[in-house]
Amino acid sequence: MDLFHDSPLLSGVRQMLTAFATQQIRPIAMVHDAEESMPWSLMKAAGAFGLTQTAALDGRKRLTGTEEDPDPTKPKTQARLSVVASEELAYGCAGICLALGGSGLAASPIARMGTDEQKAEFRRLLAGTDEHGHIKVAAMALSEPATGSDISGLVTTATADGAHWILRGSKQWITNGKSAAAYVVWAQTDPAAGRAGVRGFLVAREAPGLVPGRKETKLGIRASETAQVHFEDVRVHGDMMLGIGPGAGGRSGGVAGGLSDTKKMLDSTRPVVAAQAVGIARAAYEYLLERVRGGTVRGTPMASHQHIMFELADMQMEIAASRLLAHRAAWLADHHRDNVAEASMAKAHAARTAQQVTTRAMVLLGEEALVPGHPVEKWYRDAKIYDIFEGTGQIQRRILARQLTGQNPT
Amino acid sequence: MNFELDDEQALVAQTIRRFVERELRTWAADADRAGAPPERLLGTGGSGGELGFFLDAVPADAGGVLDGTYSHTLRALRGLELGRGCAGLAALLETNVEPALAVGRWGTAAAQASLFGSLAGGGLATLAHDSRGTLDLTDAGDAADAADAGDAGGDVRLDGAVGPVPALATASHVVIATRTHLLLVPTSALTITPCTPSGWRAAQWATATLEAVRVPADFVLSRDPVAVETVLAWARISLAARAVGVATAAMEYAAAYAADRVQFGVPIGTFESLVRLRDDATTTTLAARLLVLHAATELDRAAPPSARALDLASRARVLAGDVVARATIDAVQIFGGYGFVNDYPVEKLMRDARAFEALHGDERLGRVLRAAGKER
Repeated sequence: MDLFHDSPLLSGVRQMLTAFATQQIRPIAMVHDAEESMPWSLMKAAGAFGLTQTAALDGRKRLTGTEEDPDPTKPKTQARLSVVASEELAYGCAGICLALGGSGLAASPIARMGTDEQKAEFRRLLAGTDEHGHIKVAAMALSEPATGSDISGLVTTATADGAHWILRGSKQWITNGKSAAAYVVWAQTDPAAGRAGVRGFLVAREAPGLVPGRKETKLGIRASETAQVHFEDVRVHGDMMLGIGPGAGGRSGGVAGGLSDTKKMLDSTRPVVAAQAVGIARAAYEYLLERVRGGTVRGTPMASHQHIMFELADMQMEIAASRLLAHRAAWLADHHRDNVAEASMAKAHAARTAQQVTTRAMVLLGEEALVPGHPVEKWYRDAKIYDIFEGTGQIQRRILARQLTGQNPT
Repeated sequence: MNFELDDEQALVAQTIRRFVERELRTWAADADRAGAPPERLLGTGGSGGELGFFLDAVPADAGGVLDGTYSHTLRALRGLELGRGCAGLAALLETNVEPALAVGRWGTAAAQASLFGSLAGGGLATLAHDSRGTLDLTDAGDAADAADAGDAGGDVRLDGAVGPVPALATASHVVIATRTHLLLVPTSALTITPCTPSGWRAAQWATATLEAVRVPADFVLSRDPVAVETVLAWARISLAARAVGVATAAMEYAAAYAADRVQFGVPIGTFESLVRLRDDATTTTLAARLLVLHAATELDRAAPPSARALDLASRARVLAGDVVARATIDAVQIFGGYGFVNDYPVEKLMRDARAFEALHGDERLGRVLRAAGKER
């Protein structure tokens, strides 16, 4: 059962990225946290590993040098690869992991529902570097100031105007929102149609009326940029609406390129997000374990105390359980099986684990963890977002509850 | 058994509550961002001083306002309110109490003159607890000195490091608590390195390095572990009270937000899962508040304090630490994405929560070691 052991392919990726996390990410993590800056030069260097901003369009070829079997009935490895890679990168730094992968949030719907023309346009917009020498990044704009958990309440509108659409509205908590060269924006094309009217659009940064807002100062994941984006009557050609190509989207029974596809996309990112939370928890756990191994407390070895060691045992248990849940959800996705419940379980469990492990590690470290720039304190701040973004802990439980009885409890 | 506040207690709570709402809460975010208190808070003419902070534990005949016995119950009531305002500024407002009481009770005339002279002039002092046991404390006097000093002992030499400690960056004096000794040390004798941790950012933190610091015998306040435990009990109750205040504030903000924020067509505060987060926080916060006040009342009952008072103070800190950790994390959860950004007040509270459990080290560890018979 390949749930319990990484295949040679996966363990190769894990090994490579553990080294990358330890040697390249960790040394710069505290600086980018303190400065709240994007790790631009690392993002450029990561391209050599296949961690490109268009990786979702490139498939796994760049990362592993091999290609998926094109036979749609055969199992894939993409979901498991993403889970393994995410855990290792977040083990280095969750904020940097999100900076490296932030464009993927926009690239995924393009890969999934985009026409060849849209894919080419997306690649064109992200090619080369900007005036600062930074690589170009993309943003997915879904959440709005009044629309966090309830994504069916979007109020950004797309109004038809001949061959164009006019976008109007504001988006909130957008990863890469200020720096992006390309945006995938979700907007309501037909308010009367409700959810079915929501569609995605590919918009270039230069489009007149697209105004990035202020960058947020955040509790954690501070190497990843989060900003508002405003759309003040932005004209987009109809060719740039997602879901218009033959065979694009519509897999979950909704409108092609519509909100049901977006929700489906969130299902596929949940195991990945869960794995990142596992990476944070593991980082804190390993830090504490290292401290315990050589350390003494009040003249006795730390390792001689149940008070400390049983907490480490609990951490080890919860981390292992979280990782298995994430791998199960990814395994199901790779085997073309429904994983909605499993993805929610993985996400909710891993978020709780990351918060508990980082909090308890800080308590056991005592005053040491107060020293500015302490990594465990950073991981404590980073962990919290994992119970909020990509569906809060409450939304995951709501999904599970609805699966149990078909009802939405309130 | 009477759970009502008497008139004096109610007046103190009410006065501090008004100060918290009118001033501390309006300063908290800016002080956090600046990593410094507002100028009008400190000093003899500042609003903290006007309310009796800084000098309330300094005897009236030494330039302070303490006439008679210090009330830890009143201090706890004050701490419960201060925590609702800003944990970092609260730490500065409370910082003089332990040093002033310790020097008042055990200090020689020389120690009292040194500390009280500074505090009366608007100075600050702080308590540094060597919770990790890393300070090296040795007898610094020669045999003749020791003989002269008799049982009281001679000078003491300190090597090592303490901190981070709140207020240490601006304090003129620090009371250092080791497992066995209480020592008054002017900060000029130490190498002070100011720092700004992630929580209580306005609290003027610093670490101190001690290299062959010689503490003269008349600045050694006590060589009795019970005295050390007594000072730590004062600190634990005050910390626990402020932690409960932070937990209370977290849920006050969360309740207001949850009443306004509409998702799925209803205020999110009506969802049972979020009601439950707030309700559990209220239950545990109320319990922690009672334990804090119980411990403070026991502490006020007798001097030196009973073993029961010391134990309750420690238990209050255990519970309050758990409560503030949970309540601040859950308040951020209720705020969702807005909870994670600095424009809203709760992410600060999650950062501030950590120092309540980190200062003085893991409270449960000492309890477990004593109960297991591994420490006395």
